[in-house]
Amino acid sequence: MRNKKHILDLVKERVVILDGAMGSLLINQGLQIGIPPESWNVTNPEKVQKIHLNYYNAGSDVVLTNTFGGSRLKLSAHNHGERVEEYNIKAVEIAREICPEEGYVAGDVGPSGKFLPPVGKVTLDDFEETFLEQTRTLANAEVDFFFIETMVDLKEAESAVKAAKRTSNLPIFVSITYKKTKRGYFTIMGNSVDQCVNTLRKAGADVIGANCTLSSNEMIDLIPQIRQFTDLPIVAKPNAGKPQLIEGKTVYLTSSKDFAEDIFQMVEKEADIVGGCCGTNPQFIEKIVQRVKR
Amino acid sequence: MDLDTKSKEAILNGNISLAEEIARKAILENYDINALIDTLSEAIREAGDLFEEGEFFLPELMRSAEAMKAAMGILTPALSPEKDSRFIAKVIIGTIEGDIHDIGKTLVASMLSAEGFEVYDLGADVPVATFIDKAVEVDAHLICVSALLTTTMVGQKKLIDTLKERNIREKFKVLLGGAPVSKGWVEEIGADGTADNAISAVKLAKKLMML
Repeated sequence: MRNKKHILDLVKERVVILDGAMGSLLINQGLQIGIPPESWNVTNPEKVQKIHLNYYNAGSDVVLTNTFGGSRLKLSAHNHGERVEEYNIKAVEIAREICPEEGYVAGDVGPSGKFLPPVGKVTLDDFEETFLEQTRTLANAEVDFFFIETMVDLKEAESAVKAAKRTSNLPIFVSITYKKTKRGYFTIMGNSVDQCVNTLRKAGADVIGANCTLSSNEMIDLIPQIRQFTDLPIVAKPNAGKPQLIEGKTVYLTSSKDFAEDIFQMVEKEADIVGGCCGTNPQFIEKIVQRVKR
Repeated sequence: MDLDTKSKEAILNGNISLAEEIARKAILENYDINALIDTLSEAIREAGDLFEEGEFFLPELMRSAEAMKAAMGILTPALSPEKDSRFIAKVIIGTIEGDIHDIGKTLVASMLSAEGFEVYDLGADVPVATFIDKAVEVDAHLICVSALLTTTMVGQKKLIDTLKERNIREKFKVLLGGAPVSKGWVEEIGADGTADNAISAVKLAKKLMML
């Protein structure tokens, strides 16, 4: 076992830097639409690995495995449901191979893409089953901790946290996707910040926060609202603005410099772990590191 | 409580059994069914406004749409063809191939069917050919195509191009959905429109069908 700090101890000492987007960078490398990004862990491992390496080199303390859509429910939508173990194990190997001595590999767990009634038809048992399988596989492949993210339904997030808790003793980071309404921040299911924080804390989360949908400037005010309900470390991973299709190319309008400035403001408001979501890349991480360390 | 208030309440509370009860009562007691449908439509629009305001969220809106759909399921067959002829537009809806985002499309499908459209929801990850074949098969009026990724939006263009190639572009109105879709994109590929949310989408669909 390497002699490195427990991630939660590092969080107590200084701001921890995550990575940025993965999927869009894979698309730039030629990932075709309709193909689950996780399949590249097997078919194009060197490309996935290069992205991880670029993030570590840019200053990320942590990279997230390429397993965002690696649950059985999600992979089944692409008819890859039988390859959960293969994709998740390979994902951890790829990241671990190039992880620096002081770096961390987090097992990424995204939403199933399915919904409970009245929006969809799946049950809480379906969630539990799919997340138990994925978190068990990631734990066996020896990730350093779990990163459950982009959850728009608190019940699904809670189910994932509980599954991760049953699987192992590894730390659990959980990040919710909020939208900004006239009445404040809510998930699209109507879960408030208060409900999310309290439910997830009780379920056993070690770190709580937000990612996706909100651009970096929109997420700043959310941080104190989360802080109001918990002393747990807070993670913040916003988008680089909203995507625009300009002359056939996807463009995110927030610059890496503005993004890093917003992140710095979140750190000032007590965000402990920061990174980027959609539209970000290693350059954004570099800028964050420069700004936060300044 | 009068029927108008009661039916509005049934929709806004997402009370399916109350909505059905009202619909049955209206038929039994010879109410003006068209007027009742208009009242229900008003209520579902209000649900949409509440969603925009951040008072309603996805589950509430879906429940309202389900209640509306339940009432319409009883009311529509009771409309007499001579007297109340209400034009029922047929809609093909789905998320384009390569894209498995389902929520927005499902919401629009529910709202359309709540408003009396005959909706064929093809689901997510739907190939262009499937959209077109189904539209031809059922003699649809509208095709609604959702794309949530800038990478899958090209599928919307492919659909329009394929309709043109097959010389059937003019047979259908084509609406585009999805967060990254802009008015500029609609113009660029020659679609008939887009809307910012499910309620505006229904309004636009009705406008295009001259309803």
